[in-house]
Amino acid sequence: MLGFLFGEALRDLRRAGRVAVAAILLITLSLAALGGFWLVSANVGQAAAHWRDRVRIIVYLKREPSADDAHALVERVLAMPGVGAVRYVSKAEALGTLKQVLGKDASVAEQLPANPLPASLEVTLTAEGTTPEGARGLIARLSGLSEADEVGGGIDWIERLARGQRLLEVIGLGVGAVLAMAAILTVTTATTLVLHARRQELEIMRLVGAPELVVRLPLLLQGMLQGLVGAVMAIWVLIVLYTIAGPRLEPLVSQTLGLERLTFLRPQTVVALMFAGTMLGGFGGWLARGRTER
Amino acid sequence: MIELHRVWKVFAVGPVKVPALSDVSFRVAKGEFVTLHGASGAGKTTLLRLLYREELPTEGEIEVLDYDVPALRVREVAELRRSIGVVFQDAKLLPGRTVYENVAFVLRVLGTPRREITPRVFDALRAVGLSSRAQAYPAQLSQGEAQRAALARAIARNPLLLLADEPTGSLDDTMAAEVVDIVKDIWAGGTTVLFATHQARLAAALRQRTLTLVGGRLVKDEG
Repeated sequence: MLGFLFGEALRDLRRAGRVAVAAILLITLSLAALGGFWLVSANVGQAAAHWRDRVRIIVYLKREPSADDAHALVERVLAMPGVGAVRYVSKAEALGTLKQVLGKDASVAEQLPANPLPASLEVTLTAEGTTPEGARGLIARLSGLSEADEVGGGIDWIERLARGQRLLEVIGLGVGAVLAMAAILTVTTATTLVLHARRQELEIMRLVGAPELVVRLPLLLQGMLQGLVGAVMAIWVLIVLYTIAGPRLEPLVSQTLGLERLTFLRPQTVVALMFAGTMLGGFGGWLARGRTER
Repeated sequence: MIELHRVWKVFAVGPVKVPALSDVSFRVAKGEFVTLHGASGAGKTTLLRLLYREELPTEGEIEVLDYDVPALRVREVAELRRSIGVVFQDAKLLPGRTVYENVAFVLRVLGTPRREITPRVFDALRAVGLSSRAQAYPAQLSQGEAQRAALARAIARNPLLLLADEPTGSLDDTMAAEVVDIVKDIWAGGTTVLFATHQARLAAALRQRTLTLVGGRLVKDEG
């Protein structure tokens, strides 16, 4: 019986012809748009997480403290909420780092009459500290230290990145939803055409007492088939785009976002897209059923 | 088998109410062959549609195969119809399917096991003399053959009741006689038959109990 019902659903798809093809293409387009935005958003999110892990707040000190005072200062800062770790950087270490950065031009630093670089504290944040409010509160507390000359760093730009990521997700959902609605309407039209083409069959089925499930299921199945085919095509489009554009974009992404390579959608997202496509198609078929019942 | 008691069917055409059946009562016993005779518009088709619950009566009681027809729920309507074969003046064959597929289609939608379908289809086609036309499409059939194919489709399920709504209405005398012979064979096999026709000559030739409808009223029950 199930084989018969699937056979009827495939027969219906062939009957719907161009409208079914249009419905499949619209589902492909809507899911490719949604998946594309998800893909970009996932990579931006990864960049935001990457940078959030590496965020530091630097407290430049007025004077270089003695070893004991530096140790006591580190302990005080460590006790502040939102602080994960504190490293004391002496003036000499700061100069050493500068020389390393300058490389072959390090001799410039040696010609300086005195070490102009201040001693500092490099503060790493806890997860709680990496929220915009947490970071702002900590910066205020660090600025209040009598030893502090200036406090640098923050996470505002990372938050802007994260906000951008959320915006991308919303836009993706919006564009996907609009296209999905168009897809549903097209599937409904395709199914209505099938219903029209099948009206004699439906009449005969009802006349001989076929169970309602047998009458309806092929319609639902053909909608779901359209959705599944559209989803598979959308994923294929995304794979092709990722394969072609990925390697070309990676150098740019590496420089701007610090990501070594772009990642594709996670397997569960791919499955979710296929499920969404199947449900979209099924919903279209179900709506057509409602229309005929009215 | 069939019992109607004071059945009315009134159609509303805008503000006007048109009675299609007025106060119709009769009984058909199991195994009977009953001819339903009346001119076009006399109410024959409406009466048959009430029996397989395509229409609901405005008033009155209808019992078919022990089912209280007006009170049936959707699932029960399907159950009732599984025991009834219906043929129409236009054969209502599915144009995109062969004769074999047309008959097999109804068996498939009713969940008949696959191995039983082919033998049952050919049994039905043999009964109507159409075995050799199994692979023909409806467009390739004469009207008589199409009507026989429709009968094969109706009897493939071994119905307890056959409702024939003007099955010979568009056939010439020879073809009509063939169809009548087949319906009589089906009846001889134990199926109760209600045969609607507007042809007085045919109704008389059938020499069976005849119910005559005039303007929606049952005016004669004889034979």
